[in-house]
Amino acid sequence: MIALGKLHEFGHGVFGAFWPSVFIVVSTLIKIACIVAPLMLSVAYLTLLERKTIGGMQARLGPNRVGPFGLAQPLADGLKLLFKEIVIPSGADKAVFLAAPIFSIAPALAAWAVIPFDEGIVLADVNAALLYLMAVTSIGVYGVILAGWSSNSRYAFLGGMRSAAQLISYEIAMGLALIVVLMVSNSLSLGEIVKSQARGVFAQAGFSVFSWNWLSLFPVFVVYMVSIVAETNRAPFDMAEGESEIIGFHLEYSGLAFALFYMAEYASMILCATLAAILFLGGWLSPFSCFPNGFHWLFAKVFVILVFFFWIRATFPRYRYDQVMRLGWKVFIPVVLVWMAVVAAWMMSPLSVWK
Amino acid sequence: MEFKAFVFYFLAVTLIYAAARVVTLRNPIHAALHLVLAFFGASGIWMLLGAEFPAIALVLIYVGSVMVLFLFVVMMLDIGADRWREEFRKNVPSVLCVASLMLIEMGCALWLSFSGNTEAALPPTGAGYSNVKMIGRLLFTQYAYPFELASVILLAGIVAAVALTLRSRRATKSADPSEQISVKASERIRLVGEIPEQRNENTAWKGN
Amino acid sequence: MASMSDIFKSFMLRELFGGMAVTGRALFAPKATVRYPEEKTPRSPRFRGLHALRRNPDGTERCVGCKLCEATCPAMAITIEIAPDENGKRRTTRYDIDMRKCIFCGFCAEACPVDAIVETRFYEYCVERPGDLVWTKDILLENGALREEEIVRDRECDGECA
Repeated sequence: MIALGKLHEFGHGVFGAFWPSVFIVVSTLIKIACIVAPLMLSVAYLTLLERKTIGGMQARLGPNRVGPFGLAQPLADGLKLLFKEIVIPSGADKAVFLAAPIFSIAPALAAWAVIPFDEGIVLADVNAALLYLMAVTSIGVYGVILAGWSSNSRYAFLGGMRSAAQLISYEIAMGLALIVVLMVSNSLSLGEIVKSQARGVFAQAGFSVFSWNWLSLFPVFVVYMVSIVAETNRAPFDMAEGESEIIGFHLEYSGLAFALFYMAEYASMILCATLAAILFLGGWLSPFSCFPNGFHWLFAKVFVILVFFFWIRATFPRYRYDQVMRLGWKVFIPVVLVWMAVVAAWMMSPLSVWK
Repeated sequence: MEFKAFVFYFLAVTLIYAAARVVTLRNPIHAALHLVLAFFGASGIWMLLGAEFPAIALVLIYVGSVMVLFLFVVMMLDIGADRWREEFRKNVPSVLCVASLMLIEMGCALWLSFSGNTEAALPPTGAGYSNVKMIGRLLFTQYAYPFELASVILLAGIVAAVALTLRSRRATKSADPSEQISVKASERIRLVGEIPEQRNENTAWKGN
Repeated sequence: MASMSDIFKSFMLRELFGGMAVTGRALFAPKATVRYPEEKTPRSPRFRGLHALRRNPDGTERCVGCKLCEATCPAMAITIEIAPDENGKRRTTRYDIDMRKCIFCGFCAEACPVDAIVETRFYEYCVERPGDLVWTKDILLENGALREEEIVRDRECDGECA
């Protein structure tokens, strides 16, 4: 506190009347760095974890050559991508071509502004945090569609169209699932949503794990979990990568520009896993009241969900495109709509568990 | 200069620049992208006014879905700029008429609602004030009928769009994914004739 | 009713979890990976690696320069030149195998009437220039001298190992 006072004194001396504005900007930038730097590190090591997990499931060892247990592998990969040439195809729209990866990664980072890590630990405690998240994540589709178009390649264009259509379709199912969650927790703030999950019959009996949203909203939980897999373009919904039918929107990208797409995919994976943990698995709440709450519970839940992502990638073959669209439009949206009506009726009935 | 004022001027200049580029750019995709930028600017200004719901809704609906569909259409059509310019000259009088009419209408509406209003006339917003909650309350009480009417019109629009595009083309053979998925293993195999006796375990080929 | 239970079953993702159980078990099963430079897979006595030219126990070359290997080589990788030596015997003055062409079919070893050209278990050779992959007579003889014991053993157990 004393140090902060001294800092203010010093700031007033240097910047005069501008100091409050400067202080806000600088302190916010520092907070952002505190979130983004660990995030980028986890993105790097998530790739290693994924390769190790999938390798293990395929009776392989995974990367183990660079450093002990392959721990330096992400750094080596990053260094390699850093020094590769970014090839810009002839006839490509250069500005849009280079802006597309930024469109892809910016939303995945911007969304972290409203994610609470523990009670009160959040960069911006916005009232409409859930709406903000939906708005920001919906921008990610521009990266896909612009990358496809600006590459001046029919394959990339077709891939971009397919991926964009998939993203938009699953965004609807995801958005509706979020609406059901905010209905039962009666708030758009993520902190409030977590706190609302600490109430209920089971929570009072010491088994908070059963009063989290996943049980009472089980169909919505399933829809949400599958939707985030589709939303992050992961297997078995990875139309964008599809090695066997090579049309992906980032077909023409190389070097760091491609790395940005890759990082965006993993960053949004972590984001979606964190959201799932917050919305359905009680965020930083401990599953049994004999353990204290804390951010480590959130991290543990996110880790489990991420391993789940890898697990399904190692297990299931890729969906066919028309089946992906059918699942989104003909199965998930009706299921969520029906469950929304059921939950609304349930909330109004005397049997409501969300009072 | 206050920080807020700085942000406002930044957003305002971005908005005006982007809006001007939308109508002056030749490349339709670039124009659409500048429209996206304009939406962001407008949404930022709303956010500054403390109206976070309309601001976020603008990004969510217009940037997140409407402009994506716009881009889809523009990319698919691949319209040449030359043809546009020709048609532009032909349509200048009617365009001017419509534009001036719109300008007058918007001016009237703005003048009527803002004349005499100052910032002090805005309702005070406390700490627990939630924009979203207030709008929701208004939509379901005072504006319930207009709201429902708008949704019925939208529904009619959806039905019309589906009816226009849903033609069953007899010439093409297409598989129905739901039918394919509902098939079970027992339906896949049809045994014809007798089932042969199971081979003896010892005579079966064994790999080394 | 059956269709209802089907829908319920598919929504509980029962089949999917069954699949995931398989991969989940595999995660903890022993791995099949061979860590190559530290571990090596066992090689058969019939392994067809780098060629070698053998010598007789008295030190003279086995090769009689019959050129059968050159003729049978499907990739035309072998080049042989012959001349009589000081005793008037047929001997090779040049015996090159171009490893860029060789497909390791083993026909040369099959064709050889005196078991002079054989293929050894040695496979870990690499060079910096492609031209270095043309192995000359000296190198092949040296390889044979280095691995004579192994070659003899492999030939002895050849019948059993089939």
